[in-house]
Amino acid sequence: MEYSAGSTDGSLGSADGRVGSAAMVSAHDLRRRFGEGEAAVDALDGVSIDFPAGRFAAIMGPSGSGKSTLMHILAGLDSPTAGTVSLDGVELTTLDDKRLTLLRRDRVGFIFQTFNLLPVLSAEENILLPLSIAGRKPDREWFDRLIDTIGIRDRLHHRPAEMSGGQQQRVAVARALISRPAVVFADEPTGNLDSKASGDVLELLRHAVDDFGQTVVMVTHDAHAASFADRLLVLADGRIVHDREAATAEQAHDLMKSAG
Amino acid sequence: MLALVLRGFMQRKLRVALTGIAIALGVALMAGTYILTDTINNSFAGIFKTANAGHDVVVTPAQRLGSRVRSQVSPITEAMLARVRAVPGVTQAAGGIFSVGTFLDVHGKRLTTGGAPAFVASEVPKRFESFAPLAGRFPANADEVAIDQATAERAGLKLGGQLQIAASAPAKRYLIVGIVKFAGSQSFGGAGAAILILAEAQRVVGEQGQFDQLDVAASPGVTAAQLRDRIRVVLPRTVEVRTGAQQAAKQSSDLESNLSFIRTFLLIFAYVSLFVGAFIIFNTFSITVAQRTREFGLLRTLGASRQQILREVIFEGVLLGVGGSLLGLLGGIALAPALDQLFKAFGADLPDSGTVLQTRTIVVSLLVGTIVTLLAGLTPALRATRVPPIAAMREGVEIPPPPPPTLARLVIRFVLGLAVLLAFATLLGGGLTPVGLAVALGIRVAFFYGGLRVRARGRRYRVVPALARALGVLVSWRGITGRLARENAMRQPGRTMVTAAALMVGLALVTFVAVLADGTKASIDRAVSRSFAGDLIVENSQAGNEQGIPALVAPALRQVPGVASATPIAFTKARLHGTSSNATVTAVDPSTFGQVYRIEWKQGSPATLLSLGSNGMIVTKGYAESHHLKVGQTVYVLTPAERNIPLTVRAIANDNARLLGNFTIPLPLARSAFGQRDDALDFVSYAPGASNAQVQPAVNRLLDARFPQAKSRTAAQFKADQANQINTLLALIYVLLALSVIVSLFGIVNTLILSIYERTRELGMMRAIGTSRRQLRQMIRYESIITALIGGILGLAIGLLGAVIAAQALSSSGFVLSIPVGTLLILLLVAALAGVIAAQAPARRAAKLDLLQALAGE
Repeated sequence: MEYSAGSTDGSLGSADGRVGSAAMVSAHDLRRRFGEGEAAVDALDGVSIDFPAGRFAAIMGPSGSGKSTLMHILAGLDSPTAGTVSLDGVELTTLDDKRLTLLRRDRVGFIFQTFNLLPVLSAEENILLPLSIAGRKPDREWFDRLIDTIGIRDRLHHRPAEMSGGQQQRVAVARALISRPAVVFADEPTGNLDSKASGDVLELLRHAVDDFGQTVVMVTHDAHAASFADRLLVLADGRIVHDREAATAEQAHDLMKSAG
Repeated sequence: MLALVLRGFMQRKLRVALTGIAIALGVALMAGTYILTDTINNSFAGIFKTANAGHDVVVTPAQRLGSRVRSQVSPITEAMLARVRAVPGVTQAAGGIFSVGTFLDVHGKRLTTGGAPAFVASEVPKRFESFAPLAGRFPANADEVAIDQATAERAGLKLGGQLQIAASAPAKRYLIVGIVKFAGSQSFGGAGAAILILAEAQRVVGEQGQFDQLDVAASPGVTAAQLRDRIRVVLPRTVEVRTGAQQAAKQSSDLESNLSFIRTFLLIFAYVSLFVGAFIIFNTFSITVAQRTREFGLLRTLGASRQQILREVIFEGVLLGVGGSLLGLLGGIALAPALDQLFKAFGADLPDSGTVLQTRTIVVSLLVGTIVTLLAGLTPALRATRVPPIAAMREGVEIPPPPPPTLARLVIRFVLGLAVLLAFATLLGGGLTPVGLAVALGIRVAFFYGGLRVRARGRRYRVVPALARALGVLVSWRGITGRLARENAMRQPGRTMVTAAALMVGLALVTFVAVLADGTKASIDRAVSRSFAGDLIVENSQAGNEQGIPALVAPALRQVPGVASATPIAFTKARLHGTSSNATVTAVDPSTFGQVYRIEWKQGSPATLLSLGSNGMIVTKGYAESHHLKVGQTVYVLTPAERNIPLTVRAIANDNARLLGNFTIPLPLARSAFGQRDDALDFVSYAPGASNAQVQPAVNRLLDARFPQAKSRTAAQFKADQANQINTLLALIYVLLALSVIVSLFGIVNTLILSIYERTRELGMMRAIGTSRRQLRQMIRYESIITALIGGILGLAIGLLGAVIAAQALSSSGFVLSIPVGTLLILLLVAALAGVIAAQAPARRAAKLDLLQALAGE
C-alpha cells in the first residue's frame, strides 16, 4: 500500500532541487478543538504556515499555546478539526490510519523528549528500527556516515540502559535520520538533557540541515535551543504571534516572555 | 480502607475480573463436583427409601467381603423363607429376585447401555411392591413381562410388543403386558427394570429355589426391631437381617462409597485448576505491587505503617478470594448438570433428580477459594510492605530484597507449607492417613530443599531466557516483530516463568497421562500377545460393568464346528485369614486353561495346573512375597459365600496380562465354595485347519441366537477394544484438564495486558515511527506464543520425566514405556494455539492504544 503522491525514491528533499522554494510541510487554516460544548478548548485557532525544505524551524510558545498540538497534526499523529496539511506533497487530512502510518514510517522522523528507545534493543538496532519495521535493508554507507557524524560508533552494541541521556538522544537522532525522511519533528529534544548534551544534540540537528539538507521542525520552550534554528515561530492561544528568521537566544527569550 | 480497596478495584476492573475468574473456575469445578455427587447420592437415597417402604424387616446375603460379586448365587433359600414365616409376629414374608440382566429388542440390539444397570425383578406381594403399573398389568405367566416406563420410552416399546431378556439362562422373548413406574415421585435413576413372575425370574437369573432378598412384614404390635431380632436367631450367618430403614441407610451408604471415586476423581482436577489459579494470583499481585510502588511509597510517606500496607493488600486478596469463590460457587451450580452430561457422554448414566446444595459445599468452596487466593497473594503483599517511602518521590525505586530468613522463620515457613499440603491431602483423601502424611512430608521437604537451593544459587529463572532465545528463532523470520517479541518475553524472566508455569502444570499432567495411557496400551498389547494362545475371547459386550456371561456359553461354544476347546474363566474374591483386605481370585478350568494361556511360572509348571486338585491354588509372585506364602502351605480364606475354606499353594507365577488374580483356583471350587454362578469370559481355540473366517461367524451366530449379551473378539479386536476403552478414559481426563489450561490462559492474558500497560510509551513511540497496528498485534501474539511454548516445553519435559519414572517403577509388573510422539507434538501445537488465543484481547488492546496519550506516557 502506498500513499498517493510525492517522491517515493526515499531521497532527501535537497536532492531533487526543491531546496528553499517548495514547502516540505504546509498547513492551511488549521483548527483543532478539544472537548465539546461549554468545556470546548480551541488548541489551534486558524494556523496557516509553510515549512520550506532544507530549513530548521523552531516553534516556541508557553504551555497550552498549541505548539505540541500543531506538531502532532503536522506529523500525522493527530487530525485537525478543520483545515488542511500537506507533507512532501501528500495531503494528510484525507489519509486513513494505515496510510498515515506508512507515511510516518517512510517520510517522517521523530525525536522525543524522553528519547523513547526500546530498552531491549542495542543502539544499532534502535537506529535501524524504522527500516526493520518497514522490512527494508539499511543503506550501509548512509548508516556509517550517520554513526560517524553522531559519534557513537563505540556504543553501537550497548543497550539504552548502558548509555547516558545525551548518548541516548543522539541515538534517537540517528534513528530519526536513518530513513532519510522528508522532515524530522523534534518534540522538546533537549528537555531531559544537561546543557552540554543539549548543545551536542542541537549541533547535530543543525548539521543535518546544513550538510544533509534535512528539513527539521522542533518544538521547544528553551530559548537557547531555539537559537540554533533558521526560523523562529511563536504560538500563543492557538495562533501564530511571531514568525521571523533566526533569532538570538536573548531575542527568543524576550519573545517568549511577551507571548506568555 | 474498604473504600480505598474498592476504588482501586474499579480502576483495575479487567485485571480484577481476570484474576477472579482464575480462582472461580477451580472453585466452580469443586462446587460442581460436590453438588453433582450430593445430588446423585440424594437421588439414590430417595430410591432406596421408597424401595424399602412397607418392609419391616429385610433379609439379604451377608457381605463381609464388601459389595456382592454380581454373578454370585444368593445363599437365601426356600427353607430360610419357611423358617422366617414361622417366626411369631410375621404377618407376611416373601422372597424376591433383583439381579442384573441384559434387555434387548427382538433384533438383538441392547436396550440398556452405559453405567446404569438393568434389573430383572420378580413380582412380589403388593405390600412389598415398589413398582406400580401405569398401563397394563403385572405378568401372569412365564412368557409375560412388565417393564419400567423409562426403558419403554427410550426403546420405543409398547404394550403388546416384545422384549428379550438375557441373564444366566439363554435369551428369551417376552410379551410386554405392563408398563410400570417406580413408586413415589423418584425416577429409578436411569436403571431399567423388567418384572417377571417369581419362578421365571429365578430361572432367568439362575437361582432356582433361591432369593436375592426376603421381605417381611410385622403383625400389629410388633416393632421392626423386635421382629428383626427374632428373625436373626433363626437364620444362619450367611445372611444379614435388617429393618427396612436400616436397609435403606445401608444401601445408600454402600452406594455413596461406591461412587466416592467419582468425587475424588473430579476433585483432583478441581485442585489442579486451583493450583494453576494460585500461580495467576501470585503473578498478578506481584505485578500490581510493582506497578503501585509509587502509591505505596506515598502511603508510607503520609505515615502509613508496614502493617497498614500489608493489611490493604491482604484485604484486597480477601475481597478477590471471596468474590472469585462466590462466582465459582454460582458457576458450580451451573456446572453440575454439565458434568453429569459429561459422564453421560462417556457412558455413565447416573440419576440426578433435583439439585442438592449442601451447606458443606458452600463453606468448603468459599473457604478453599479464599484461602488459596490469600496464600498466593501473601508473598507479593509482604513485598509491598518493603516499599521505602522514597519511592513516592522517585521513579524506578527498587524494592529491597527480603532479609535472609532466620531459622525461626524457615521453621515457620516449613510448618505452614506442610500444614497446607496436609489440609489438601485430608480434603482429597477424606481423612488423614499415614500414607498421606508421608507423601505430604516428602513433597514439602523436596520443595523446601529445592527452594533453598534455588535461592542460594540465585539463578532461578535462567531456563526462561534460554528457552525464549531458542523459541525466538521460530518467530525471527518475521523480522523485527519476532525479535522484539522474543526480547520482551525475556525481559522479566520471573514473570514469564510464573505465567508459563501455570500452563506448564496442566500440560505436564496431560503429558503424564498421555504417556502412561500409551504405555498401558502397549503393555496390554504385549501381554495379550505373549500370554494369549487362543483364537477368540468371548465376554459380555459390556464387560466393564462387571457383567459376566452364562456358564452355559462354554459348553455351547464347544459344539460349534471348528472349535477345539472353550475354556471358561471367572473372577471372584476372597479374604485370606488374618488379613483385612480382599484378594482377587481367578477361577479357571485346569484341564484346558494351559492350552490357551501362557503362565510365567516361578515355581511350578503347566503340569501343576492339572494337579491343582479340589483345593489347590496358584498364587501370584507379588502376593506370595508380601504375604509370605510358600508352595505346599495351606491357608484358610473366607469366600463371598461366607464360607471358610482351606486352600493349598501349589505354584507361584507371574502374570503380566493380569488375567490371574492373587489366587487362581479351579472353577469347580469357585462354583461350590464361592457361590460363583456366571463366567467372566471364555477362551476359544480352533481345531487345526479351521479358519477364523469360518469359525468366528459361526460363533457369533450362536451368541446372537442364545446369548446376545456376549460378544466374540479375536486377540487383535480385543486389543483394539482395550485401546478404545483407554482412549475414552483419556478423553474424559483431557476434558477435565482442559479447565486448568483455560485457567492458565487467563494468566497469560493478564500478564500480557499488564506488560502492555507498562510499555504504553514504547508502543506509542513504535506507532509514531510507523509501526502498523498489525505489526503491534503480531508482536504481542508472538510474545504470547513464546510464553505459552515455554510452558508447553517445560510441561512436556516434566510430564515425560514423571511418566518415565512411573514406568520405571511399574516395569517389574510388565509395564512397557511407549511415547506417543504424535500426541506430544499436538500438545505443543495446543500450547502455541493457547498463546494465540490468549493474545487476542491484549493484542487488540495494544493496537487500539491512543497514540498521543501513549506518547504522553499515561
